[in-house]
Amino acid sequence: MSALSDLLGDVVSDVESVFLFSPSSSHYERFADADLDEQVVVVAPENDVDAETYVELPLEFDNIRDRIKFGVEGALERGFVEEGDVVTCSVRIFDGDPDGVVRVRVEEAMRSGIYDLFANSRADPSVIRDVFEVAIELGKKGQKGKPVGALFVVGDAGKVMNKSRPLSYNPFEKSHVHVGDPIVNVMLKEFSRLDGAFVISDSGKLVSAYRYLEPAAEGVDIPKGLGARHMAGAAITRDTNATAIVLSESDGLVRAFKSGQIILEIDPEEY
Amino acid sequence: MTGHEAVGTVASAAALPGSDDVSLLLPATLQVDLGRLPDVFGAVPRGVWAALFIVVGGVLAALLLGSLTTRLLVRLGVPEAIEGTAFERAAREFETSTVEVLGTLVRFFILGVTFLAVLSVANITVAASFWRRTVEFLPQLFFAIVILIVGVVVGDKIHLVVGERLTGVKLPQIGIFPRLAKFTVFYVAILVALSQLGVATLALVVLLAVYLFALVLLTAIALSDLLKSGAAGSYLLLNQPYSIGDEVAIGERRGIVQEVNLFVTHVENNGEEFIVPNSLVFAEGVVRIRN
Repeated sequence: MSALSDLLGDVVSDVESVFLFSPSSSHYERFADADLDEQVVVVAPENDVDAETYVELPLEFDNIRDRIKFGVEGALERGFVEEGDVVTCSVRIFDGDPDGVVRVRVEEAMRSGIYDLFANSRADPSVIRDVFEVAIELGKKGQKGKPVGALFVVGDAGKVMNKSRPLSYNPFEKSHVHVGDPIVNVMLKEFSRLDGAFVISDSGKLVSAYRYLEPAAEGVDIPKGLGARHMAGAAITRDTNATAIVLSESDGLVRAFKSGQIILEIDPEEY
Repeated sequence: MTGHEAVGTVASAAALPGSDDVSLLLPATLQVDLGRLPDVFGAVPRGVWAALFIVVGGVLAALLLGSLTTRLLVRLGVPEAIEGTAFERAAREFETSTVEVLGTLVRFFILGVTFLAVLSVANITVAASFWRRTVEFLPQLFFAIVILIVGVVVGDKIHLVVGERLTGVKLPQIGIFPRLAKFTVFYVAILVALSQLGVATLALVVLLAVYLFALVLLTAIALSDLLKSGAAGSYLLLNQPYSIGDEVAIGERRGIVQEVNLFVTHVENNGEEFIVPNSLVFAEGVVRIRN
């Protein structure tokens, strides 16, 4: 028995903070009331428990490594932890109650930019999350079973509209629909067969589809092998403060660009 | 409350104020021996039989309608809707629930009506005018109590709902709004209940009118700008004289439209973002710059 508690003791000894991933309120209160020396950080999609130190988790990462990395990166950005700190994370690996405790050392290399993408983009984090969800779902299922590509330009819509031109009539003309509505997600999937980009405003309004982006592309550095869609997406983010979320037709990956740089690459099958 | 208890209480209650022969005969009929039924039937006056039927029927109706009310309220989802209100919690402490209380109230009401019906059938003339007035007063009292209970429960529920809506606003003073809503509902419920009982409530009604007038006036003054912007914004959203991406000038502010919503228009120009109320868009007019 003592070997078992030693096992857990080794994991939780000498840590600076405890990260609770999506805790239930009773679970959180047990930690909050215990008056620990360690700082308690809540990482969850919504701050249901009214925690003071809270990191928003925009996507329910299925992969535990990604989820922990995102939480730690968010805490790093917000100054809850610093490099060299050791934290312990209480996570849910399988369904149900939290069933895993993980010890992590905070390193500078953990700044991958995912947190920055959500927290410091011009558009609302929830809008970026909704667009990501549409792109991921589209990547998983494709359009009528066939792989499909799509380009979403999110935020700074006024400037993006000025640096692009319509390829055909805008199906969203005079409509006031926002991403995140289930019906709009279906519309987006249907319209993904159209060529061109979707333009989405800071608050999530669908401004236009069928847009041909005309940014200046010089100096845009994206990995070799990506096509015109990625190049256009990357270039528009260099010219404006927008974020581009691109679903590749050929390899099915979802990539995000900001300031002309690729900052995130995820496989839809993992979410 | 079981059926036997109810019969017992009503029978004895019915017997109490009556004349001597009624009070003696009623318990006797309850212990009738079945073998000598025809003799007894002949011996007992008709009025007493009628009274007995009314007692039995009334008690049955009370039990039936009481549980029917409870079930109906449960079926309508009332217990879930009022979960967590102060009245419900108080009821829980006495190991009952609001729905049960209302059911019991209906039971007592019907038992009371039965009791009065028995009195009238048994031709009891003692204090006739007192009983007549009681007959008139009883339904009013019943409705007053029901209105009061409903008012308290609804007020509590509104307190909870408004409070929940405002949880996002982390401001200590915000607590006044749910309480204001709750006490307004309480006040109206008390007012209705009192007028149901025939108490003079004119002064209270005047007070309510003044309070509501002040509330409406203050809200209208406070929200006038928002209302104006909202009206202008609905026109802008419906007709879209300018849309996202257009370059416009509104008064001194010139730039690219980034966002149009019901109340404001965001216009951005070289890192400066103007958030212009839509009422101003109408007041000043818009210049669309075409190039």
